[in-house]
Amino acid sequence: MVALSKTLELRARTEQEAGESAASKESGGLASPDLSLVGSRRLLPRMPGHGDRLWHRLRYPFTRRTPLLLATACNAKTLAAEKSIVDKRPLYWIAGLLFLAIAPPLLGDNPLLSAAAVFAIYAAINIVWTLVIGTAGIFSLATLAVVGAAAYGSAYLSIAHGLPWWGMIAVGPLFGLAFGVVIAIPAIRLEGFYYALLTVGLAELCRVYVVQSRALGSATGGLFGADTYLPEGLSDRAGLVLSYYAALALMLAALALYRMIDGQRLGRLLRAAPEKQEAFAEALGINYRAARIQVFLISSAALGLIGGFYATYFKGASPSLFSMDSLLLLLAMIVIGGIGTTEGAVVGTLIVVLFDRVFITLGPMRLIIIAAIMLASVLFTRGGLFSIPAQFAAWREKKKSERRVLRVGTGGETMPEQATDIRDKQSIYLKRFDKTVRDRLRMLITDELIAEHRRSVAGPHGDALERLLNYFRRAAIVDKYAILAVKPFAEYRIVALSGRRGVAPRLVDDKVYATSEEAQHAVFLKRVQDLNEA
Amino acid sequence: MHIDLTYVALTAVSLASIYGLLALGISIIWSSLGMINMAHGFTFAMAGYGAWLAAQYLAPNGILVVAAGILTGALVGMLIGAIAFLPLYDKPNYPLRSLIATLAISLLGSQFLLWVFGPRVKALPKVFGQESFHLGSAVVSADKLGAIGSSVLVMLVTLIWAKRSRRGLEIRAMMQNPEGAALVGVDLRTTAMAVMAVTGALAGLASVLLAQTYYVSPYAGITPLLKGMIVALAGGLGSIQGALIAAILIGTVEALTAVLLGGSYVLITQFGFIIAILLIRPRGIAGMLEHTRE
Repeated sequence: MVALSKTLELRARTEQEAGESAASKESGGLASPDLSLVGSRRLLPRMPGHGDRLWHRLRYPFTRRTPLLLATACNAKTLAAEKSIVDKRPLYWIAGLLFLAIAPPLLGDNPLLSAAAVFAIYAAINIVWTLVIGTAGIFSLATLAVVGAAAYGSAYLSIAHGLPWWGMIAVGPLFGLAFGVVIAIPAIRLEGFYYALLTVGLAELCRVYVVQSRALGSATGGLFGADTYLPEGLSDRAGLVLSYYAALALMLAALALYRMIDGQRLGRLLRAAPEKQEAFAEALGINYRAARIQVFLISSAALGLIGGFYATYFKGASPSLFSMDSLLLLLAMIVIGGIGTTEGAVVGTLIVVLFDRVFITLGPMRLIIIAAIMLASVLFTRGGLFSIPAQFAAWREKKKSERRVLRVGTGGETMPEQATDIRDKQSIYLKRFDKTVRDRLRMLITDELIAEHRRSVAGPHGDALERLLNYFRRAAIVDKYAILAVKPFAEYRIVALSGRRGVAPRLVDDKVYATSEEAQHAVFLKRVQDLNEA
Repeated sequence: MHIDLTYVALTAVSLASIYGLLALGISIIWSSLGMINMAHGFTFAMAGYGAWLAAQYLAPNGILVVAAGILTGALVGMLIGAIAFLPLYDKPNYPLRSLIATLAISLLGSQFLLWVFGPRVKALPKVFGQESFHLGSAVVSADKLGAIGSSVLVMLVTLIWAKRSRRGLEIRAMMQNPEGAALVGVDLRTTAMAVMAVTGALAGLASVLLAQTYYVSPYAGITPLLKGMIVALAGGLGSIQGALIAAILIGTVEALTAVLLGGSYVLITQFGFIIAILLIRPRGIAGMLEHTRE
């Protein structure tokens, strides 16, 4: 009687749940056609659009390019057509650049303004470096050495031969180009770390040469007294503001160059031929050697121009440009922001310059803090600050699925990532159904039930026992228990079927049963035990 | 022009033995851990300070100074391994990230030394005494002979240890196939720490030996690191024999340059030499293919 009422209750619950799940499936199907989006809301600004306005895009003149990547889609809830900005980075760029154009001259005192100018120069260097290290994927560490060589060359020409400031900026790219040729030759042959280490050595070589050369100011610790672009009789403050805007213009030029190379044909070619995929790229018909030499020469010329500007800005050059610490500081800038993106280069430069030039009161702790930030960013993030959102999202997904595993327990549920690999989706549902059936049947097993089976093996059975036996009867034939009559009416043993034709069943244990009923009950107990253990 | 060949040869061998100690460390770390250890120079500098501290506060005893340098080197090597290898080795983009991490440690370390010990250089006591001997026509100082003798001895002991001992077998298994080694029960973490300790100890010894002629300073590690790198590159990253051959070749180039052209041209000729080697053989004299490392 107890068993019967339990079963009734059970059946009622099953029906109720089935109804619920069907209802939820239906309503889900109506409300959100894009089922993959459940639980992760995309935060995109949506603008209403109608008719012509819906597909209208602002375009750069004479091109098909748009400044903003817009998507037009129907709102799933209201069914209204809407425009949304898919990539908001251009907006952030504009806001950031406007801030840089307005804020420092208005808000900053003189030290801050000069720090801002240094930031802009280093940001320009890093943006050009990103072309080599990000777009081309060549880990070159000779960037600062190119800048230094051009700075030394133009400063020397200005001091020894009276070159004016615009001449220095014009001559810088030539020095850069010459240096670029020198570092591009090994870049074709060497790969990976061999090249990185070689370029570190080249920078050290330049430092030793500069420190020892009398013509390049070994006695005074650098070359000083080069021409400056600041006109005579300008006040200190006005000079700083002018310097800052000149440096900012340099940074904008570097950004424009990056956009022109990275977004156009050369950038595509280089991105298609990263390290260790050269053969693939070559098979596609990409002349990756020519592309790499091109990007080296272009970036070296740009770095040379920055070097010429550097020399006029600081009115000279010093050997610290080639030192290991400056190189590491420059590397810290792009590593903190994230190698390979301009926003990473700019924000990383901002952080490093902030610590290095603004918080001067920290003393020698400054560089230690910067190195610690660099170490932390490389230990904890995959690609600097700007990879944190993606990494956080991945971490959250991982935690979510871990929690789901804990919730559903093992055995019944198939994880979505496994489910994509399973061809027969029916088996997933079958597995889940089997698990619920087993869970419910497990609840039915009581001592009374087992006693009932022992009393009457052949039946009649109560509802609960009948359900249990039915489940056992429809088990797969592989490893199914059976009874072997060794001597009829005298000796019975339990075997397990092999499930394959021609392969004899194997004996399960060495127990011998005197009657068929005893053996049947033993099989029943074994099955109950298996059910409880599974 | 007359060149004193014995002098050149002795200088070459003594330089080669010191560079060999560093290059051997860099090469072993690269082949077993897959990490370019740019913080090896920091190990070098820190070991010099460890030896100096021992000479200052314990006793200026030669053996004690050498032992302190080696011990400090081993400890710093293990520290670098704990920071740059253990948290990163199973993470994506490991080679680049560990390279950057060791560069950051190098920056951090030199600034730390500058902060704690100040920019003034320190001198170590003479470990091998002041005497000098006549060998043929050349005069040989005791520290040169001591440098050659002790570094050759330590290198030999290291190589035999790597060949014969159980730990050495584990290290060589890790060099050949890290995943396979892990599968057959080699603990990559402890093996890596052993590698870092041994290579750090080699750098510590090199530091004490080089401090016999130069001084100990916060930036003392950079030039030896770069020269060790040059030797390891020219020999081929990951090859011990290559590193030893390259050490002898580059020591000879340095000694010859110093005699023929003058000390200021040493780095330039060395670079010309290594670029020539690498342009002919992009993986160094005996470099193993990078694919085997992966």
